[in-house]
Amino acid sequence: MKKRVFVALPLALMLVASACGDDDDDDTSATTAPAVETTTGASAATVTSGAAATTAPPAATTAPGSDAPDYSALEGEIVVTGSSTVEPISALVAEAFDGLTGGNVAVSVDGPGTSDGFKAFCAGEADIADASRAIKDEEVTACADGGVEFAELAVAIDGLSVITSPDNAVECLNYADLYALIGPESEGVENWADAQALATELGSTTTLPDLRLTITAPGEESGTFDSFYELALKKIGDARAEEGLAPLDGNDKPVKTRADYNSSPNDNVIIEGIGGEEGSLGWVGFAFADENRDTVKLLGVDGVGDGTCVVPDATTIADGSYPLARTLYIYVNTVKAAENPALQAFVDYYLSDDGIANVEAADYVPLPADQLDATRSAWVG
Amino acid sequence: MAAAAPPANPASITTLAVERSLASRKRDWLGQVFQVVLLLSLILSLAIIVFLLSNVLGGAWRVWTDRGTDFLTEGGSRQAEAAGVWQGIRGTLTLVGFVVLLAFPIGIASAIYLEEYAPDNTLTKFINVNIRNLTGVPSVVYGLLGLAVFVRTFGLDRNDEGGLTGGKSVISAGLTLAVLVLPIVIITSAEAIRAVPRSIREAGYGVGASRWEVTRMLVLPSAAPGILTGTVLAISRAMGEAAPILLIGANTGFFSSGNQSFVEQLQGTFTALPAVIFGWARETSEFRDVTAAAIFVLLVITVLANGTAVWLRNRFEKQW
Repeated sequence: MKKRVFVALPLALMLVASACGDDDDDDTSATTAPAVETTTGASAATVTSGAAATTAPPAATTAPGSDAPDYSALEGEIVVTGSSTVEPISALVAEAFDGLTGGNVAVSVDGPGTSDGFKAFCAGEADIADASRAIKDEEVTACADGGVEFAELAVAIDGLSVITSPDNAVECLNYADLYALIGPESEGVENWADAQALATELGSTTTLPDLRLTITAPGEESGTFDSFYELALKKIGDARAEEGLAPLDGNDKPVKTRADYNSSPNDNVIIEGIGGEEGSLGWVGFAFADENRDTVKLLGVDGVGDGTCVVPDATTIADGSYPLARTLYIYVNTVKAAENPALQAFVDYYLSDDGIANVEAADYVPLPADQLDATRSAWVG
Repeated sequence: MAAAAPPANPASITTLAVERSLASRKRDWLGQVFQVVLLLSLILSLAIIVFLLSNVLGGAWRVWTDRGTDFLTEGGSRQAEAAGVWQGIRGTLTLVGFVVLLAFPIGIASAIYLEEYAPDNTLTKFINVNIRNLTGVPSVVYGLLGLAVFVRTFGLDRNDEGGLTGGKSVISAGLTLAVLVLPIVIITSAEAIRAVPRSIREAGYGVGASRWEVTRMLVLPSAAPGILTGTVLAISRAMGEAAPILLIGANTGFFSSGNQSFVEQLQGTFTALPAVIFGWARETSEFRDVTAAAIFVLLVITVLANGTAVWLRNRFEKQW
C-alpha cells in the first residue's frame, strides 16, 4: 500500500510535467504547419494575387530590375526591430511576406523604439531597423564600429493633425500657440484666452478665442505623442527650460507637456472628445483625422511663425510643406542582405507595390511617387 | 445551533446567550449590522469579479461567434480580424514546461533537504528566512535578473551562433520564470513536509527504516497533496507573469518561426499569452474584443491547471 503511494507521487508529478511538456513538444512540431497555414490563409486574399502578378511575368520575360524571387524556396531568418511607429507597417509587410513564402522564413517584427532598434541593428543583432527619424551621427559611428553597412530607405510619411471642434472659429495655430496651450507652462490654463499672454510673449500674432479649453490627446506612451512633442513643442520647450522658465522633471529633462489633459490611447475616444466640445484641442495621426473630417476640424499649422498657414492634406504632407510631418524609414543591413536571399527578397517585397500598399493599411501617408522611386533606386543601386 | 456547537459547555453558552438577549437589545442590533457588513463585503467582491468577467466574456463571446476556433489556431497579426493566440498559448505552455522541469525537482529537493536533512542551526534558519524573503521580491526584479544573466551573459548575439539560451528566447524566459517560482515551490513544499506528523516518522524509525526510507516511503507520500498545491500555485503564477517576459523580450509585434527546428524555435523569437494581451491592449479599439478573448483563454488555461491539481490532490488524499 505504502509502496504504491510512493510510486504514484512521482508518477503524478511527471504526469503534470509531461502533460504540459508533451503539449509543447507536440505543439511545436505538429503545429508549425497549421500555424503557418492559417497565416497564409489569412493573408492569402491580399497576397496571392500579388504573388501571381510578380512571379508570373519573369517566367515569360526576364524580370524587370530584379531576379524575381521564388518566394517559396526561401529559407532563413529576418529580424526587424526599432520604432513602434513604423512597426505596424513592417508587421503588415511581414505577415504578407510570410504568406508568400509559405512560412519557410522566420520573420520577427518588434517595436521597442527607434533608438533601441539602432542599438540592436548596429550590433548586428537585427537585419532591419525601423526608424521614425533619420539615423544620428553617433549611431552611424556605432554601426561602423559594429561592421554594419546599411541602406537608408524612406517608406512612408507620418503626418499629425492638430484638431478641434468644427464649431471653433480658430483656423490656424503656430508652434508658439501650441506651446502656450499644451506646453508645461500652461498647467492649469482652462481658457484659450488665458494662453494669449504666453503665446504673444513667444512671438505669436494669433488671437486666441475666449473659450473653455479642453485638451484630449494621446498619452505619453504613444508614438503620436512623441512625434507631436518632437515636431511642435520640443524646440520652444527646450529653450524655455534652458532659460529656467519651464519646469524640469526628476531627471533634469524639460517636462514635455502639461499633465492636466485628457489622455487616451484610443484614437476614437480622442475624436469623440474633440468633436463634442467647442473649445476642444488635440492631435492624432493624419490618416485618422482625415477619416473623421465630419466630426473634427483639422487646423492649419504655421511652422515658421510668419503667418503662412498650411492645412494638412495628402498633397501638403507629401510635398513637405505641412510642418507636422516626418518621414519614416527602414534601415537595411546590406552586408546581411547580400548573404541572405530571404532578407533581400523581404526588402524587395517591402518596396514593391504590394508591400508598400501596407503604408496606407497602417494609416500612414504614402510617399509621393518620386520619393518612392528614389527609395527603390537607392535599394536596387 | 448552540447545542450543536463544539465548545466546552454548551449548556452554559446557551444560558449566557439567553440572559443577554433578555437583558439588552443592543447586542442583537450590532450583530445584525455586522452580518449586513459581512454580506456587503461579499457582494462587493463578487460584483467586482462579475463586472470584470462580464467585460471579458462579452468580447470573448463576440470573437468566438465570429471566428470560432480560428482564434485559437492563428498566429499573431496586426489585423484584429486575423489575430490569434496560438503563438501565445504555445509560448505559455513551453514556459510552464520549463517551470515544471526545472523549478519543481530543484524546489522539492531543496525543501526535503531543508526539512529532513539539514541540521537545525543558525545557517539553516538564515537560509529559510532568505528564501521566504525571495518570494516577496517583485517579478520585475526577476525579469531584470533574467535579462542580465540569461539573455546577456548566456545568450550571445546570434552572429556568434553560440549563445546557450539564444538571447531573447523562450529558454531565457523559461529559466527566469523557473527561478521566480523556485522560492514559492520550496516554501510550500517545506510547509507540507513539516505538517507530516512526527509520529509517522517515528513509526518508520521504530521498525528500523533509514532516514532515506522514511522520507521516501512515509513523509513524501503524505506531504504530496500539500506539495502539489504549492506547485500549482507556482504554475499559475508563472502563466500570469507579464513583466519578466516583457523584459526578457517577448515579441508583441509579429513573428513567424519559418522552418526552424525545435531547438532553433526554443532559441528564437517567442511570445506568451500575457505578452500577447499586453501588445493587443495597446492597439486601437478594433483589438478590444480579441484582447478580451485572449484574457479569457489565459483564464481558462489557468483554471484548467488549477483544476487538474485540485483533482490530483484529492486523489492523493483519499489514497493515504
